[in-house]
Amino acid sequence: MTLLLKAWGYYARVSKRWPVIETLVPFLPLIAIWWTVAELQIFPPAFFPGPAEVAQSFWTLLYKGILTAYLYDSVVRLAVGAAAGIALGIPLAILIGLNWRAHLALWPILLFFQAIGDIAWLPILLIWFGFGLTTMTFVIVYTVLFPVVLNTVLGVRSVPIELQRAAASLGASRWRILTEVILPGAMPNIITGLRNGLGYGWRALIAAEIIVGTSGIGFMMFDARRAGSVVEIVVGMIVLGVLWYIVDNWILAPLERATGERWGLVTK
Amino acid sequence: MRSLTIRDLSKTYFDAYAGSHVDAVRGVSLEVTQGEFVSLVGPSGCGKTTILNMIAGFIPCSGGEIRLDGRAIHGPGPDRGVVFQSFALFPWKTVLDNVGFGPKMRGVPKAERDRTAREYLELVGLAHAADRYPNELSGGMQQRVGVARALANNPEVLLMDEPFASVDAQTRMTLQEELTRIWQERRPTIIFITHDVSEAVFLANRVIVLSKGQILDEVDIALPRPRVWDKLHEDAAFKSLSGKVLQLVRSA
Ligand SMILES: Nc1ncnc2c1ncn2[C@@H]1O[C@H](COP(=O)(O)OP(=O)(O)OP(=O)(O)O)[C@@H](O)[C@H]1O
Ligand SMILES: [Mg+2]
Repeated sequence: MTLLLKAWGYYARVSKRWPVIETLVPFLPLIAIWWTVAELQIFPPAFFPGPAEVAQSFWTLLYKGILTAYLYDSVVRLAVGAAAGIALGIPLAILIGLNWRAHLALWPILLFFQAIGDIAWLPILLIWFGFGLTTMTFVIVYTVLFPVVLNTVLGVRSVPIELQRAAASLGASRWRILTEVILPGAMPNIITGLRNGLGYGWRALIAAEIIVGTSGIGFMMFDARRAGSVVEIVVGMIVLGVLWYIVDNWILAPLERATGERWGLVTK
Repeated sequence: MRSLTIRDLSKTYFDAYAGSHVDAVRGVSLEVTQGEFVSLVGPSGCGKTTILNMIAGFIPCSGGEIRLDGRAIHGPGPDRGVVFQSFALFPWKTVLDNVGFGPKMRGVPKAERDRTAREYLELVGLAHAADRYPNELSGGMQQRVGVARALANNPEVLLMDEPFASVDAQTRMTLQEELTRIWQERRPTIIFITHDVSEAVFLANRVIVLSKGQILDEVDIALPRPRVWDKLHEDAAFKSLSGKVLQLVRSA
């Protein structure tokens, strides 16, 4: 019992020092189960490779440069699509959030198109733009746009009127009220929208790559299917998970904490 | 030298749910001279906030006019500083940047507006909290920042709507004493709204009693300054003035 406590204390200290450990440890049982099932050969090894085979395939793909090249393609597509989605979405959301006429005119249209999910656009996009970058970019921008717009509108509208009045009575022009009060006040919501948007966008991108791709992680996975290489598919799945964890946990979540929590706008 | 002139001011709200009109303010006329400290008291719903919001320019008036130094008022402006009951500090700005916000909007360079902000933080006894964020402060401290922020912009009139209503009783007394001290040092024109009769009498030179959107009466408060609660608490003149105002409010 005391030994267990000691071990726990040791773990707590070490994981405090290297937070990465805290992230990795929950996966250990998962990998153990995976390894056991693979070792027992309940399924044929070609259908259900173990961790060792997958790790080996990972190194091979990395060594050949395929993984890095495809990963780079996917990440760049996501970044470009997300940037476009944000550049389009935030101004649109500010317009809708601040102007009731714009809200009246655009809100129903927005909800209508939100219902037509990203993938539902692919059939018509393929006819219009063919198998290529345009189709893929459209899908990502489309996917990122809605969470960003909906959350930003919510954020803009929830900035207390008193804060805007305070700024106005301190001499702020309408433009300064926007930049000094409304945007920072909406920032926690904007970042939440971004976080959701990127999450959906990442998934939509992989789906789009599977269907229309000529490169990228999604394409790699689908290509592996054609070759019947389950190992490479599993590598792709793991890369997706790891990459998203890094983006969300090391970039987006700290950003969210740095705004909302610091200012006391959301509780920790 | 007339500072603020209100003539025949009225406000009718339309209540969309009830489908009826509410006459919140009905023909209020009032003159506040420069450097005067005026309190508006009255029971809940008598139109205090409505009057203040019209002076601040937050809402349009339905009738009458408000002039500041002869100029008619249109919308909010830096000539009328406002201290809010809810403090209304910018949560994403430090205390220093909150207080320096007005000068920033006027285009004052960073170094100079920081100096101004520090000076006013000193005035409200919060120089040590300059780099903190509003949510790290107590209610009383937040409202000191609110007062400093309004004063740092050097307004012609300071409008305060129940600014001390949401702090505890002890802190409230301290804040009241601080406000009278600041008023004596700087002589800003203050319109102070409250439903607390003793607060109104303690602070002001003149107490105006409102009833159902109209001015019922006004009482001059000729108590000596500096005013501190330890002395005024048992003061006969203070008691009789408070009693007089209280009677007016209760008859309202
Ligand atoms: N936006 C509004 N729409 C409709 N009626 C309103 C609105 N604002 C205030 N009123 C009504 O106008 C009257 C005066 O309200 P006001 O807020 O000015 O009162 P007050 O004296 O500040 O009260 P309190 O002491 O409770 O703050 C009340 O009857 C209130 O219901
Ligand atoms: Mg009120």
